[in-house]
Amino acid sequence: MVRKKFRRNELVFGALAVLLAILVLTFYLWHITENIRLGYAIGEAENQKENIRDDIKKLETKKAALSSLERVEKRAREELKLTDPRDDQIVYEDGGRNRIP
Amino acid sequence: MSIALIQYRKNVRKRTRILAFVLALWTLAVLARLVQLQIFGHARSRAQVTQQTQAKFEISPQRGTIYDRKGNILAQSISSLTVYDSPMAGESSAQRMARVRKLETFLGLSANDLERIRSAMDRGAGNIVLKRKLNLEDDAKIRALGVPGVFAREEKMRFYPQGDLASHILGSVGVDNAGLAGVEFKHEATLQGKKGQQLVLRDAHRREYRFETLVEPQRGNDLVLTIDSTIQYFAQKALEGAIQKYRASWGTVIISHPATGEVLAMANWPSYDPNSYPPESKEAEPNRSIQYMFDPGSTFKIVTASAALESPDISLSDVFDCRKGFIETAGAPIRDHKNFGILTFPEVIIHSSNVGTVEVGRRVGAGALYQMIKAFKFGERTGIELPAEALGKVHPLAEWTRRSLDSVSIGYEISVTALQVLQAMNTIANRGVLVPPRIVKAVQGQPLPAVANDSRILTEETARRLIPILEKAVLDGTGQSAMAKGYTVAGKTGTTQKYDPDLKGFSSSKHMASFVGFVPVETPVLSIIVVLDEPKTDEYYGGQVAAPVFREIAVRVLRYLNIHPRPDPRPAIVAANGLKEAEQ
Repeated sequence: MVRKKFRRNELVFGALAVLLAILVLTFYLWHITENIRLGYAIGEAENQKENIRDDIKKLETKKAALSSLERVEKRAREELKLTDPRDDQIVYEDGGRNRIP
Repeated sequence: MSIALIQYRKNVRKRTRILAFVLALWTLAVLARLVQLQIFGHARSRAQVTQQTQAKFEISPQRGTIYDRKGNILAQSISSLTVYDSPMAGESSAQRMARVRKLETFLGLSANDLERIRSAMDRGAGNIVLKRKLNLEDDAKIRALGVPGVFAREEKMRFYPQGDLASHILGSVGVDNAGLAGVEFKHEATLQGKKGQQLVLRDAHRREYRFETLVEPQRGNDLVLTIDSTIQYFAQKALEGAIQKYRASWGTVIISHPATGEVLAMANWPSYDPNSYPPESKEAEPNRSIQYMFDPGSTFKIVTASAALESPDISLSDVFDCRKGFIETAGAPIRDHKNFGILTFPEVIIHSSNVGTVEVGRRVGAGALYQMIKAFKFGERTGIELPAEALGKVHPLAEWTRRSLDSVSIGYEISVTALQVLQAMNTIANRGVLVPPRIVKAVQGQPLPAVANDSRILTEETARRLIPILEKAVLDGTGQSAMAKGYTVAGKTGTTQKYDPDLKGFSSSKHMASFVGFVPVETPVLSIIVVLDEPKTDEYYGGQVAAPVFREIAVRVLRYLNIHPRPDPRPAIVAANGLKEAEQ
């Protein structure tokens, strides 16, 4: 049996082909991995967005609860000792026009 | 080759064959088992694996938010935690229950909860809800407890930040976030959105490692109501004060804008907090503004008066003899609370004379009065976008007895809701045009189209002649307590004796007091009805107990709306031509 001798050019092309294949495979794997990573990042960002939206809703609701007239009047009367004004204490703004609700 | 070697090779072949046979048998057995598991038992195995490693959950949609007309939040859904239990492989329901009991204290499970869970486990249910509406922060604590099969999911919880404000309008939702009462129930389709679905994958230790949304939930639409939180608050406070002052059994107040029919407030007492629905007392649940019917009494005289003014047989200068203080009719005579003497038609209404109104009714006639009642749409739902609105009761003309004309003329033998009476007063305020009431202003930012079924039921002339009479009723008549300084007010009082089933007649001690009116007379901005049931003080007339509530609310709301009192509003004069003229 005679061992085949490869020419230098063939070896270079072969090595380049293998290298190219490795590069393509590496790129493919990187691409897949990056896609998955981005998917997770997008999912995470979506979750954060939802959480922030939820926080906004909770804050809006809390604001509504804190500014409820029942609570405001109670604090005004009990803590600040405010009372309803007498008719003669009310000053109406000049130019105030009737407003239909 | 020696004999021994031949024998040895034979033995090896024999053993090889035996081994091959055994191996073939073993292979066949394995293949048979594989066929059994993967072909015949495929469905069962797949189900077992799916049950152990996957679970599908509904994703509750975000329910639409409810706002008042100024954009204040009245109801909103926020995230909360729901805790579930999932069965472990080979676990009996008793073992499962024992596992859940470890969480009894932490979750605050009641006896009812435990019974519900036990019966679900006995039925072999998969995921069972242990507790709803926990704080999101509790998730970590539940994980820390490390009870296998128990896990938590984020869901939406309805929250009413203003507590009992407008509770009867809003209603509430159940544990599944479906509307049970009020706007929440009536507009379920608009508010609810569409449920989504989520797939959860678990490892061998039943730890969740992947969540996948199979169907995205669709958010419900937002609703904007016509009510104004501030006006609603004024109405509730005034009503609560009146209930306490006059020790009434219940009460209701409705405030509306006559020209559009928009309800600005609808208050009821007793009330409840929709955050803890259903209320402890059943008495607090109904929306009495639209669900309770009562004999309107003298407030109904606006209908009799309208029929009279539409009739060619009655003029403003006609007089009625009320000197006796009573009038004979079929059954017991109808009485005034005092002898009025001779009254003109306007004076009959201004002083709310029963005797005079019966005589007016007789001149109008049953047919014309009945037609007017139907024109005002008594006995029909107003069509307001709230559930369980009562029809009211108007007996067909053919069923009227000899007494009916007299009784109906003064607001008996007929049942109405407070909203129907307000609708009638709005018609007069609108100069004869009936505008049905409404409570929903916009859906998802899109204003609802203007109501198309406005209809003129009185001539403008009739309304223009009636309004000064109603203004006089406040200035000089029974409704003087409703007079708001600096504003022109038109209205009518009502005091109804309640029917007592024990006495089989009208009670002399149980009354229903009411006042309905609008303000300012020239350009009505507000119409208000106040109804108080069974005031238990010496004062029980509508003019004594309901009219002051009207005044209190009207003054506060008009100031809030930046409508200033005038130093000298023109007092009304009822002239022969029915038009109001300024006093010189």
